[in-house]
Amino acid sequence: MSSREKHIVVTLACFSLLLGYYLVNWIRMYQTVGLDQTTIFRLWATVIIVGIVVVIVGTILTYIGSNVVHAIKTGREEAEPMVEDERDKLIELKGEYAAYIVFSLGVFIAMLSFVFGQPALMMFSLIVLFSLLAQIVGNISELVRYRKGV
Amino acid sequence: MEKRRVHNNIRKLRFFQNEMTQEELAEKTGVTRQTINAIESAKYSPSLELAFKIALVFGVPLEEVFSYTTEDKATETVK
Repeated sequence: MSSREKHIVVTLACFSLLLGYYLVNWIRMYQTVGLDQTTIFRLWATVIIVGIVVVIVGTILTYIGSNVVHAIKTGREEAEPMVEDERDKLIELKGEYAAYIVFSLGVFIAMLSFVFGQPALMMFSLIVLFSLLAQIVGNISELVRYRKGV
Repeated sequence: MEKRRVHNNIRKLRFFQNEMTQEELAEKTGVTRQTINAIESAKYSPSLELAFKIALVFGVPLEEVFSYTTEDKATETVK
């Protein structure tokens, strides 16, 4: 597994946990107080900030962890080269394409909910949900292409 | 419907080049070892630039590294 694949696995795991956290808290809020503006905004902010922090920390930890493993395996002290070559860029592009499709679908569904009389808070909740799903789908698409080929 | 295939002799050429490893070839061509592995396994078709770089490393023409056949041609050969 290349360093890029390891990074994708870590990002996928983080965003899956984040999605789970978001869904659990959103459903709990909806069942107790309904669509409460303050609670939803707090949930969005938490998801966005945690997402950013987790990706940064995850990237750093993946880099450190993979270099430690590389040093143990090869007995060399120099870091594993973090090269992003043409294949990595192509797979990243195709992953972004898959994520874009999911996010576009999410925006469409969010707009539909608004058209059918749901409040604006529901629309924005759906957009946040699909943005998390898009990231996950993009990561899965990249991993599949790394395994099966481009 | 014809099916296009890009074949390569990289593994054989590496062997005859003092048993060059995938990692060595990757370093010389500026890509990762996984990309070289993917090319050898026909899971990835390299760009023209990378294909030329690989041929240059082995010191052979491009046609000796990569070949291109369609399913129709393969069927004709069998006939």
